[in-house]
Amino acid sequence: MNGSERSEVDLFTEAVQLPAEQRSAFLEAACGGDAELRANVEALLKAHMQSGEFLEQAPAEVKAQAMVPGEKPGDWVGRYKLLQQIGEGGCGVVFMAEQEQPIHRKVAIKIVKPGMDTKTVIARFEAERQALALMDHTNIARVIDAGATESGRPYFVMELVRGVKITDYCDQNSLKTTARLEMFLEICDAVQHAHQKGIIHRDLKPSNILVTTLPSGKPLAKVIDFGIAKATTDQRLTDKTLFTAFELLIGTPAYMSPEQAALSSVDVDTRSDIYSLGVLLYELLTGTTPFDTTELLKRGLDEVRRVVCDVEPMRPSTRLSTLMAADLTTVSRHRQVEASRLLREVRGDLDWIVMKALEKDRARRYATVNGFAMDIRRFLAGEAILARPPSATYKFRRFVRRHKLLCTGVCVILLLFATCLVVTSRLLIRERQMRNDMTVAKAAYEAKLLIDAGQASRGADKYVEALDLQKKLFGLDKPRAAELFGSAFGSLMSLGRTEDANQLLTRFYIPPQKSPSADWLGWRSALFARQARWRVAREDVTMGLKTRPDYVVLYHALATLLVAENDVEAYRHVCADMMSRFAGTTNASTADVVAKDCLILPSSGMDMASVAILAETAVARGKGEVPYTFYLCTKALSDYRLGRFQEAVERTSAIFKDPFPYTQAEGSAVLAMAQFRLGRMEEARAALAKLEKVLRDDLPPPRSRDLGHDWKDWIIAHALLDEARGLIEGSSSTNSDWRATSHE
Amino acid sequence: MSEGTAILDAIGKGDASTPSAFLEIVYEELRRLAASKVAREAPGQTLQATALVHEAWLRLMGDENRRFEDRTHFFAAAAEAMRRILIERARRRRALRHGGELERVHLEEDMLASPEDDEQLLALNDALAKLELKHPIQAQVVKLRYFTGMSNEEISKLLGVSLSTVKNYWVFSKAWLFREIKAA
Repeated sequence: MNGSERSEVDLFTEAVQLPAEQRSAFLEAACGGDAELRANVEALLKAHMQSGEFLEQAPAEVKAQAMVPGEKPGDWVGRYKLLQQIGEGGCGVVFMAEQEQPIHRKVAIKIVKPGMDTKTVIARFEAERQALALMDHTNIARVIDAGATESGRPYFVMELVRGVKITDYCDQNSLKTTARLEMFLEICDAVQHAHQKGIIHRDLKPSNILVTTLPSGKPLAKVIDFGIAKATTDQRLTDKTLFTAFELLIGTPAYMSPEQAALSSVDVDTRSDIYSLGVLLYELLTGTTPFDTTELLKRGLDEVRRVVCDVEPMRPSTRLSTLMAADLTTVSRHRQVEASRLLREVRGDLDWIVMKALEKDRARRYATVNGFAMDIRRFLAGEAILARPPSATYKFRRFVRRHKLLCTGVCVILLLFATCLVVTSRLLIRERQMRNDMTVAKAAYEAKLLIDAGQASRGADKYVEALDLQKKLFGLDKPRAAELFGSAFGSLMSLGRTEDANQLLTRFYIPPQKSPSADWLGWRSALFARQARWRVAREDVTMGLKTRPDYVVLYHALATLLVAENDVEAYRHVCADMMSRFAGTTNASTADVVAKDCLILPSSGMDMASVAILAETAVARGKGEVPYTFYLCTKALSDYRLGRFQEAVERTSAIFKDPFPYTQAEGSAVLAMAQFRLGRMEEARAALAKLEKVLRDDLPPPRSRDLGHDWKDWIIAHALLDEARGLIEGSSSTNSDWRATSHE
Repeated sequence: MSEGTAILDAIGKGDASTPSAFLEIVYEELRRLAASKVAREAPGQTLQATALVHEAWLRLMGDENRRFEDRTHFFAAAAEAMRRILIERARRRRALRHGGELERVHLEEDMLASPEDDEQLLALNDALAKLELKHPIQAQVVKLRYFTGMSNEEISKLLGVSLSTVKNYWVFSKAWLFREIKAA
């Protein structure tokens, strides 16, 4: 470029930015003397001022004016007078028009732009006209008529629907999800109606579903353009079809089913409508369509096709969760719920329903719109839906939710039943227990009766029988078992049936793992002791004391056994033990027993004063008791040991009032020794003779099979005899063979 | 690889014969698109050049690499092609009009347009030819803007000049062409 040309552009540019009055001056200066340049620039400036809108408008490729000017309000199309334009779509222009004949009404007229031969369009429409005429549904805007304008373009006359797109209506009125579903069901109903007449819509989208408000305020959704899409679409696969499809894509790619988008020669059936309905439902629930096709369009037709046909869309709940916070808030607000609640509403069954309608493979979609609607109805009723792979727990949950009352009732009944069962079984158990109890008690009672009736042996057997029953039915670790055992054992022993008594022990022997109870040991030791088997008796008692050191009876047994074994050392230990343990007792028999044991041998080593206190306690407290005489014996012996011989003698007179052999023996022993100490030889000898007589005649002799129930007192009596004899006659002639056992 | 990209590759490699081939392809594509659009356009509608060019872009270039040079080449070619299409039609229509009987011929591509528009277009074409000789860059701005509907921003990016420069060139060119047409 040469310099002057460039200057032209620069000069012009600079000058044009100056206010008009300054331009002259500027050019004067800038052009120098170049008159031509200046003239050029000035001419340009002038042209600029005059050019106005020149070139500002993009070139009209075609100012596509028809032979006849386009329709406008006031024109007549057929017998309809155009009133005003109410819409414009990819398909054509929509007018509101008035009809006079045969009825006066307002209608909508869609004048289709010529996509193909007008005759073909009309012909196609005619083919469906019959079916269209049979359609009668509140939610379908009827197509009333069709024809061609004077300029040769096809038009369709439809029921006038003044409303807003269904998606807009739902958002504007913030309809809840349930309300949206209800409205959607109406649409399904309409489409199903049409399908049954053999009419496929093929172009279901929000702008084809308008919602009007009735005078009552209720909304009414109407599907429009039924039958038109088909008529105006060429199904043959040509270049023209491609462009048509592309145009349709520009309009509503979001709602096009995969088979429509694929442009293969698969013909479209009712399931294509189902897909579109699925997209609509998706949008009603989430506020967006499954694919953002405007974005895709920017990438080209092929991209759109690929995505619609191959890419699996996000589930509605997933889509909601990926929305940005602001968008999600808006969407939720339009549905009158909080965001989290909305997610929960949609997640699960609704997801499944929508996705089934959106299946790429149309064989996997709902087969009919009815099926689609039914599943939604099931969802609303809380029943199990078909779209979802049924798991047992899901079905069960649904069942429960639906039949809450029934299930609660059933649960209550089951609970009652269970309670009844429990109660009854417990009653039964108790009854059985009582019966068992009765059995044992009866046996025991019978035993007692037998013994009272003099049939001691049979009575003893009966006791054993009762004990058996007790063991079988209740077990041995019950107090009654011990009672029965005692009775059985005692009666057997008193009958001299020591072998049977022994057997009793083994039969009701506690298994070796468990340590024998002190009671049981007490029984066995008594058995041994009665057989004069001092050693094993002592062993048992010692073991029993380990577990029950509070059993004074066992102490008493131990003390006497040690006396029988003549183990003075151990005897003294036991006395000391007893004294420390039971010194403070207020129980008469306990006090008596403790005192007695410490008094048996003179060498007990105990403080006689303390012992005397115990003896006194027994006498004082035990006044009315059965063993009272024994208490007197103990006291008398205590007096003797303390050296109060005269008091001892006096006490024995009270003792002798009781004919019981053992007290007679003890009393005699004390009397003999006390008299001797008092120096009364005659009385002493007489008492000793009496003592020997009692022992000889009334007490079991030494080496008896059974020393009897009072074996302890038997030992004591013999011990005292030894002492008395030793004292009065001199110790060497003590007859100690009473200590020998018959066994061992 | 799409057809367009393949050719552009060839151009890049220095195949001298291909620029015109590319132009032919673009031209053909635009023509076809325009034809289909025209055939389906409703009365009263105008077909936008921008839409056409965009569509042609999609169809020729697809989703593949959009090298800056590719864009430059394409749009330069598209502008040129568009211009050619428009001019051809205007000429044909003029010929028809002058030719005599007004058949109601459904030309595959055309509907009748107003004569004035055609004349203006042809005059513009001549003036533009002159401007190309004197001020090529400025003429390019006009072509891009007028025939392909690119925005000033896009043109500034494509040509590698500042936005204000583009605006200035546009103002200048308008004045220049206006003057030229008036003078003719």
